[in-house]
Amino acid sequence: MVYDGILFAIIVGFIRKGNLKFLTEPLFRWGWIFPIILIIQILVFNFQNQLPILGEWSNTIFIFVYIVGLFFLWLNRKNAGFNLIMIGVLLNFIVMAINGGRMPVSEEASTILDPMYMEAIKNGFYGKHALLTESTRLAFLGDIIPITSPYPRDQVISIGDVIMNIGIFFFIQDKMLKDKPTEEEIISMQLKGGEIK
Amino acid sequence: MVGDIGFQSLYDWIMGYALIGVTLLLFKYVIVLPPKGNSLSMDTAIFLACLFLFGIEFSLNVLLFSSLIYSFYEKRINWSKHLFNFSAYTIMLISTYYVFLFFNGTIGSINFINLFAYLASFLIYFFVNSLIISTYFWISDKKSLIGVLDGMLKGTLESYVVTLVLSLVLGYLMDSSGVFGLALFAVISILLSIVFKQYFSLYESVKTKANMDHLTGLYNHGYFKEILNEKFEEMKQITINKPLSMAMLDIDDFKIFNDSNGHMKGDHVLTLFGEILIEKCKEKDYVVARYGGEEFVILMPETTENQANDFIECIRKELNNTYVDGVERLPYGCLSFSAGIIEWNIEMYNPTEFLTHADQAMYYAKEQGKNNTHIYGHEFEPLEITASLEELEQQLKLLLAKDIYTYRHSKRVFKFAVEFGKYLLLNEQDKKILSLGALVHDIGKLEVPREIINKTGKLTAEEWNTVKQHVTWGREIIQVDKKNASLVPLVELHHERFDGKGYPYGKKAEEIPKLARILCVIDSFDAMTTERPYQKTKSYNDALDELRDCAGTQFDPFYATAFIDYFNKEYMQVEEDITTI
Repeated sequence: MVYDGILFAIIVGFIRKGNLKFLTEPLFRWGWIFPIILIIQILVFNFQNQLPILGEWSNTIFIFVYIVGLFFLWLNRKNAGFNLIMIGVLLNFIVMAINGGRMPVSEEASTILDPMYMEAIKNGFYGKHALLTESTRLAFLGDIIPITSPYPRDQVISIGDVIMNIGIFFFIQDKMLKDKPTEEEIISMQLKGGEIK
Repeated sequence: MVGDIGFQSLYDWIMGYALIGVTLLLFKYVIVLPPKGNSLSMDTAIFLACLFLFGIEFSLNVLLFSSLIYSFYEKRINWSKHLFNFSAYTIMLISTYYVFLFFNGTIGSINFINLFAYLASFLIYFFVNSLIISTYFWISDKKSLIGVLDGMLKGTLESYVVTLVLSLVLGYLMDSSGVFGLALFAVISILLSIVFKQYFSLYESVKTKANMDHLTGLYNHGYFKEILNEKFEEMKQITINKPLSMAMLDIDDFKIFNDSNGHMKGDHVLTLFGEILIEKCKEKDYVVARYGGEEFVILMPETTENQANDFIECIRKELNNTYVDGVERLPYGCLSFSAGIIEWNIEMYNPTEFLTHADQAMYYAKEQGKNNTHIYGHEFEPLEITASLEELEQQLKLLLAKDIYTYRHSKRVFKFAVEFGKYLLLNEQDKKILSLGALVHDIGKLEVPREIINKTGKLTAEEWNTVKQHVTWGREIIQVDKKNASLVPLVELHHERFDGKGYPYGKKAEEIPKLARILCVIDSFDAMTTERPYQKTKSYNDALDELRDCAGTQFDPFYATAFIDYFNKEYMQVEEDITTI
């Protein structure tokens, strides 16, 4: 979902005559935290079923990762869109924390997903998620929004994801259009040569 | 459950999220309409569509969440206004809901069967909304409740109906295609908002161009007159006495500057002066305009003539100290202007008179050696009345052949006016205007056909109207010569009555210039005592009694009484003496 959002934002950025120059400069404060928490997530995700200890602690680790992530977002809150990203992540974090570290997924909405995936969630195998039940608290913050055709990839997302993606969209737009020459500059470049001053 | 915040099922939540999102977008993308500040928001359509489809709870939930988020987002608006809006919407929605149910409306889907219920809902929604908004303005701005209601009905009814009908359209869309229908609605609304914004900015820029003077960036002549007229009307209606002053400024020796430095430099001076004026007037909220070539006017609300004088003097000093290339060639060696200032009073005849007097004061300032400011009415010697007695008498002689009555009447009124003016101790200027005005006050009768003037029987209504026209014709005759400008009010307004029942305008009391009120008394007295084809003659005593009776209705009581005193003293005394002997 996040990657789709980034791709969409970049395409819109190009349509608005933006560029990717900003990638040459350091983007964030404490930017190195970001790949580290990403790697931790992937490692836990892949090995939690092999290593039982990791499986036991995975919920705690995910919550820890979220806290670090939120801290990182807070450090960079001056960037455009980061307040929205923070709100989105926070909403996801709240619903996960209150439900034992796992994101509740609505079964109703998930009927559009691959049945294998559902099975995995039901059996508790599948990393970050858990099935939404009667006892789930703040269920409306969970993964309840089905996204399906005509969208190319079926998925179920939460309102936190939506808000986060809007934030990411604003952030990328802001960065891509920052160095865009203004209308005046374009005109003055055209006028050079043959004009007085 | 009633009383629970939040939507009932997870499916409702998904719908709710979408609706809240669209509502927020529509808060932001309103459709702007001229005049400035007017706009049409589509959010009402969403709340009503929710009401018809899902019921009151759902609708209020969407309202609550979107209002909450919006109040965090839009911090520039005071929280109390957010709260007010939220409460207003809540009251409107709840009352609409119960009216809808009362008319047997069924919640669920948009259906033709509910037509009357929809209509009733729209009516009550509009009614409650108007009431709340009017009450708000009534409390906050002390405007009259009915006035605001009336303005709302006139200005916004169409846009209102648009939103209300759109709520049904949105209802249909959502009913048949859910979130997709909502998305379609959102896209159309947002695009409309963008398009209207473009039109609106186009409208604004064209409007600015039409009202602005291109060179100086000030308002132009036409727009200034518009504002002046509005202000004039306003001043006449307001009973509280707030002063209003105006200054007319003319750059000294601008022709010399232009001739010796070229028009480019001259334009530069105008631009520079415009900038200074804008800067100074901005602080005080004054209206400043370029009146003509190098003439500028400033309209100063809530400012007395003395305050205006200080303000203009301050600008004059600043201009004197501003160096511009080529200024050495001017007689003073610096930029300067002469200004005339006038303060509004109830006797002011019309905006043109206001401007003329400011202009006269400005010329007086020029005569005093330029580079100074003069307040109208503070002249050391009276402004010269250039109209000459001989010339006016020549014009009056034209009447001699046609209407001997009016000719003689005019001569007598002239005589009374000279004496009465002395008796009243008017100043030299007023005395001269009064006597000259008295001489020509009926000059307009030249235009009245002979058969009407010399008719011995009773005049028909139509003929009367023609006779009444003589004041307007008189004004036109007198106006031809600019030097007679000060006589115009006397000629045109000497048939106005103190109680406002006169003609041509029906002006009242102090709205009629003082001299015209005096002339009215003299004119009527002479008319009553003279033999006329269409009127019986009264004796002097009868006429004086009539003056006394009509003091305060037809005549200004002060001048009517004064005239009776004057007449008794000058003419009746002699008769009394004779009778006593």
